[in-house]
Amino acid sequence: MRSLWRLAASEMKLLMREPMVLTFVFAFPVLTVLVLGGVFDDNDPNFEGALPSDYYVAAYIAVVIAAIGLVMLPVHLASYRERGVLRRFDVSRYPRWALPAAWILVAGVVAIVSIAILLVTGRVTYGLPEPHNVLGVVVGVLLGAFTFMSIGILLGMALPSARSAQGLGMLLFFPFFLLGGAGPPPDAMGDPMSSIANVVPLTHVVRSIQEPWLDLGNPTGHLIVLAALALLATAGWVTLTVRPGG
Amino acid sequence: MVIDVQGLTKRYGARVAVDDVGFTVTEGEIFGILGVNGAGKTTTVECLQGLRRPESGRMRVLGLDPRTAGAQLRTRVGSQLQASALPDRLRVDEAVLLFGNGDRRSADRLLETWHLARLRRSSFASLSGGQRQRLFIALALLNEPQVVFFDELTQGLDPLARGEVWDAIRDVRARGTTVVLVTHFMDEAEALCDRVMVMRGGRVVDAGTPADLIDRHARSTTVTFTPPVSFDPTTLAAMPGVDVVERDGEQIRAIGSNQLVAPVCAAVLGDNHIGPPDLRVHHPDLEDALIALVDDTTAEPPSEAGARRSREGAS
Repeated sequence: MRSLWRLAASEMKLLMREPMVLTFVFAFPVLTVLVLGGVFDDNDPNFEGALPSDYYVAAYIAVVIAAIGLVMLPVHLASYRERGVLRRFDVSRYPRWALPAAWILVAGVVAIVSIAILLVTGRVTYGLPEPHNVLGVVVGVLLGAFTFMSIGILLGMALPSARSAQGLGMLLFFPFFLLGGAGPPPDAMGDPMSSIANVVPLTHVVRSIQEPWLDLGNPTGHLIVLAALALLATAGWVTLTVRPGG
Repeated sequence: MVIDVQGLTKRYGARVAVDDVGFTVTEGEIFGILGVNGAGKTTTVECLQGLRRPESGRMRVLGLDPRTAGAQLRTRVGSQLQASALPDRLRVDEAVLLFGNGDRRSADRLLETWHLARLRRSSFASLSGGQRQRLFIALALLNEPQVVFFDELTQGLDPLARGEVWDAIRDVRARGTTVVLVTHFMDEAEALCDRVMVMRGGRVVDAGTPADLIDRHARSTTVTFTPPVSFDPTTLAAMPGVDVVERDGEQIRAIGSNQLVAPVCAAVLGDNHIGPPDLRVHHPDLEDALIALVDDTTAEPPSEAGARRSREGAS
């Protein structure tokens, strides 16, 4: 456990020295808040009776989680393997699972800071609604974040290079971003798009946060889907790390 | 016995990278694994480091199997890998603390030994090739390992730095650490190794002390010189100990048994002339032995050797 904290602290320090990664993770949610909160009319009927800016709060949070899980983590880990950094760790006294686990911690910290920044931005620009069920919101955020971090680690461990991780990460991120709740609301989409949106994993993150926040329904089904995805992804990356390479 | 390997076999798809390899390394020796590129040296060592899982064979490092006791071994074994890196923005002192066991004094000593003390605050990305290599050697020696694996120890170092590294490795051995050295530099193996094994096409073709191998596979000394105008090569060829006399442009090359050919050439030339100023004597070394071993196809059936060569050509 001590070695895990040491690795996490070291990786956190290294991340603070990468201004480009931090800019993306911190500036992106702020821009999302400013743009999405302002494009719809307050009387638009597509938001299940909520104000558009309130409706999108959950989506802002999900976008941060998706950016960290689908872009930052896979690119970082894949570049570590491509450059031989993982090999260097493989012959060190750290257990093989320690580096990915440290990265889940680091990504968690980044997500918390990033979500805090976007909540402050949302509050001073469009105002934030009072959460109906605070505990439900926290559970949704934590499970959603853990699921996407696990998917990110799995992608990073499975993909051969930073370039392929970047490509696949972006390919997943944009449809997730647009269909998963940060784009137009499902009621405003045509039927085919709306049914695709329902199976996009990020949709479950958005609904798990949105439903307890705005009192729009019971999120249990979405939470179960997220937990199953988290379990699969974790089993996947653990299998990849405990087995020595080819 | 520090390392004991028997029948080690590792395939990549259809290609056999390591084929029934066996050897032992005893405590406190510097053991060299030699061969040309693609001979299977690095794969062999990667199996011992627990980085790769062989198809079959028995391996023991400090009495433990790297396949099952990897975690235990990593605290007692040091490794410098052929292809590895550190995070670009990690600084030298941070790397030593991250991979060390927290003993700052021994970490500082190691940085001094490897001339890294003044680069303490430099990031990995800003180091030159030679500085990175020295850092990797230092990291392999952190935590006082009982066995150290070096894969291409002096890659990227200038001749002066190579000599310093060799001295430092002798010190490491003098403190009781067992060293396994993978190299294709024969002068390095000759200077450092107590025993070596030569690999070709995934197999061990011979093993022994460097002197044994030279004796077995490189018996001839070569003398080259530009002859005086009146020189008659047949006189030299008839002398005892001289096997071949051939002309190479302006120069004469005489090849013969180690002890005899040089004095004989000197005697023939010195008879009534002053010796030629460009006379050079090349005594056999480990490189000659390796070239003889690698070129020698009699050690295995020709069809198999041909097949292997064509596979290597394709890859």
